[in-house]
Amino acid sequence: MSNEEGKALRYSIYFSTILIIVTALTLQLIRIQILNSGKFKIKANENSVKAIPVAAPRGVIFDRNFNLLVGNKPSYNLVVIPAYFDTSSFTRFGKLLGFSKETKLEIIRAKRKYSKFKPIVVRRDIPFDVVSGVNEYGDELTGVKVEFVPKRDYAYGVNGAHIFGYLQEITADELKNSMGEYVGGDEIGASGIEKYYEKYLRGKKGKKLVVVNSRQQYIRDFRNGAMDLPPAKGDDIVLSIDKKTQIAAENALKGKKGAIVAIVPKTGEIIAMASAPTFSLSELSVASPSEWRAIVFNKDKPLFNRATMSAYPPGSTIKPLEALAGLASGSVTPRTTIICKGGLQYGDRFFGCDHIHGKVNMVKSIEESCNTYYYLLFLKMGFAPWLDFTRRFGFGRKTHIDIYEEKKGLLPDSAYYNKRFGRHRWNKGLLLSLSIGQGEVSVTPLQLAKYTALIAGGGKTVVPHLAKGFIDNKTNAFHPFSFDSVKINLNKNDLAVVKKGMFEVVNGEGTATNIKDAYIPIAGKTGTAQNPHGENHAIFIAYAPADNPKIAVAVVIENAGYGSTHAAPVAHKIIRTYLRNLIHKKMRKLK
Amino acid sequence: MKIKYKLSDKFDYWLFGSMIALIIVGLIAIYSATEKMALTNYYKQLTFAVISIVIFFIIFFVRAQYFKFLSIPVYLLTLLLLGFVLISGHTVYGARSWLNLGPIGFQPSEIGKIGTIFMLAYWLSQSNVKLDNLRDLAIALFFGLFPVLLILAEPDMGTAIVYIVILLSVLFWAGIDLFGLFVILSPAVIVFLSFFGTVAALVGFLALVVLLFLFKKDLFLSLTIFIINLASIFLFDLGVKLLKPHQQKRIMTFLNPLSDPYGSGYNAIQAQTAVGSGGILGKGFLHGSQTQLRFIPEQWTDFIFSVIGEEFGFIGSFIVILLFSTLFFRLLRIALKQKDSFAGLVTIGFLTTLLVHFFINIGMNIGLAPVIGIPLPFMSYGGTALIVNVSMIAIVMSFYRDKKEHT
Repeated sequence: MSNEEGKALRYSIYFSTILIIVTALTLQLIRIQILNSGKFKIKANENSVKAIPVAAPRGVIFDRNFNLLVGNKPSYNLVVIPAYFDTSSFTRFGKLLGFSKETKLEIIRAKRKYSKFKPIVVRRDIPFDVVSGVNEYGDELTGVKVEFVPKRDYAYGVNGAHIFGYLQEITADELKNSMGEYVGGDEIGASGIEKYYEKYLRGKKGKKLVVVNSRQQYIRDFRNGAMDLPPAKGDDIVLSIDKKTQIAAENALKGKKGAIVAIVPKTGEIIAMASAPTFSLSELSVASPSEWRAIVFNKDKPLFNRATMSAYPPGSTIKPLEALAGLASGSVTPRTTIICKGGLQYGDRFFGCDHIHGKVNMVKSIEESCNTYYYLLFLKMGFAPWLDFTRRFGFGRKTHIDIYEEKKGLLPDSAYYNKRFGRHRWNKGLLLSLSIGQGEVSVTPLQLAKYTALIAGGGKTVVPHLAKGFIDNKTNAFHPFSFDSVKINLNKNDLAVVKKGMFEVVNGEGTATNIKDAYIPIAGKTGTAQNPHGENHAIFIAYAPADNPKIAVAVVIENAGYGSTHAAPVAHKIIRTYLRNLIHKKMRKLK
Repeated sequence: MKIKYKLSDKFDYWLFGSMIALIIVGLIAIYSATEKMALTNYYKQLTFAVISIVIFFIIFFVRAQYFKFLSIPVYLLTLLLLGFVLISGHTVYGARSWLNLGPIGFQPSEIGKIGTIFMLAYWLSQSNVKLDNLRDLAIALFFGLFPVLLILAEPDMGTAIVYIVILLSVLFWAGIDLFGLFVILSPAVIVFLSFFGTVAALVGFLALVVLLFLFKKDLFLSLTIFIINLASIFLFDLGVKLLKPHQQKRIMTFLNPLSDPYGSGYNAIQAQTAVGSGGILGKGFLHGSQTQLRFIPEQWTDFIFSVIGEEFGFIGSFIVILLFSTLFFRLLRIALKQKDSFAGLVTIGFLTTLLVHFFINIGMNIGLAPVIGIPLPFMSYGGTALIVNVSMIAIVMSFYRDKKEHT
């Protein structure tokens, strides 16, 4: 019967269909469960095992003698996971948690969001009784956690706010460009050394592996932490700062406005750098937003680093440089003398001098700071050698110190005057105040210190810098940083004359004999920066010992009047502190 | 005359045994998937399992010849329920497919499978109905496709596809010839090709014309078929335009599941990861990370197979496949041995229902089939489906008991 045959055929077709389906499923099962199982096992693990970054302690900061200046201390943050947080805890544990109104609102809002399982840091650096309280009530206080984080410790006697710089929570933009080195909420160097050497200091994050479910909820530690990667502490930075000298500098500026920079002349190493008014890094680190605003908008600008960012007219401190320019340009010799009658009439303007100095040669012009000598010198040699030498000594451009907060000051050139007064509409008379470091020229205390170092070092120094090197966290080996050397050609004999003048400033009959030291031969130069807005700024630059300089200092005290009375004693104190410390160190070595 | 017989001639142990085994394996998997949060679902399913076994024996003791007379009432009830669900049904996962009768909720489209298969079998087993008669074929198509239209309106694409495959397999078993198959399938192929652009559709029409010539039917018939094909494209296009945007999107996602990797595609990827990571031996009962950490949403419904795959590995998965294979081959054998064509067609219809569910469901768990929300017979959580599936086996076993060995 054909019907029966048809039925047999249809049976075979249907039978084959089932066979094909079963075979296809079985082959696919073999493919994914046997042949490619490894791949899927990895995928399943990645699904359920989550790496939580563990913050690394930052590298610490040492001074030049390996005294700790900035360390780390344990601190605790209060963390809330909104999804698990019970809002009745606000009242039940109100006292313990100490949440502000904004914090409460933030938590309530976060509870409604998709990201309600993401922990939020609600309080940083909580006191220990809160830590123990939260741990004690752990079971009832659902969704509240205490998180351990290493925190900066500044309690080592040095303020150094402008040197070390502060840390700030990473911004969204920085996070985007960070190539995965950071996570949201991380603190990152925002100024000073912390910012410049961020890559060394930050260390490498660790990883804690935990098992989570599909909602990213914590289930348990993965393999009891056997696979966790501990964080690696950052590399330590060794500064050229001398702790005792730095403290002396900071103390000298207490209650004043101004800046101090002290440098080792030959190496460019900064021994001390202070700016006042200043702020406390440890207070800033726990400051509330309103406290932050109070600091940022304070009229005295405590965050502003005057040592590298404030530009002042150099006043008479520019005279040694000008003397060198005069000698080099052949306009004067060391023996050239002028008669000072208390000033100079040029055109319709009288340019004054502090005294009637009478017969003045070069050494005396520096020693007694005779303005008349420099008016005449400037008129004779012209603007070009003045500009050439100020440029050579690095004014008008950044020193490229190893912090980002630096200004270049102002060095007016022909182009500047053309722009300001019109082409050929200005003459030497207009520029005459430049010869005594007043007028348009302005320099930073750091530039002044570098200039002093160049004179002290015979025209040779290194780009001023704060960090000597870093200590590799893995090998504990010290690696010095290298900085470009700075060299300018100065005639030895010319320099000797100028140095003699600077020596006499303190040790002869000069303007700073008040700091003459029986044991330390100090050479220096006073200056007064005219300030149209108030009392003049006192300036003093110095190096010592005069015959073999170990330290060069620049001191600017704002609104203090004469350099000799107010700035020179500060410089003296810095020099004494540093050199005494140096001698003690040598004696310890000899023993 | 007394005939000696063994009990196994009246009761198919293999069929019954594999069904029970699958229900038990399903309960184990549901327990694992719900243990952490939704264990009430496990207890509900356990209750449904007990109820379904009771229903099994009630149906099993119905004499086989009575089923035939139920065909028309059950079919009408099916249409009524499918129509009613569109008016007052509940929407679950985007489809209006649930009907609540007091405290009991159920899916008419599940029950409708039995009604539709009965009706088709009833019509095709009439001695005067011939499939090479275009009118008789059209009536059969009408019986088969009317519920499909109602289900598409829910819209439940997955179930609609199952209905269409059932219709085709029943027609196939009823002995439809090549031309009949061509008449039925050509509009579907043309519509399908039209998705791939005008060129593909034109190639389809060209092939249609060539085939019409080869079949050498008269001009009127050939022209009618050609026009039906042409109309099908426009009708389909019109139908799609009448749908709301989200319904259109669902159809597009169905046709290309990769277009939505974070929607239904996410579940498929996670399920495949679960099964693959199970390896040969599996991670152990209650130890599958994908399952226990709930990476597969609502895993106890459409993705129950991935629990077996992850926790019991290839061994467990293969045992499930073997149990289903046993069930299918027994059903096919019963269909073959049936002298009563109604019983044979019903058996094939049921077999196809289970086979399609089996293939698509496991396929979408292991990355072999697109994600269409249809459950795995006997194992997935869900009372209606379980009771319907068990009833199908009960009906077939009743046929087996009362089978006519000779016509």
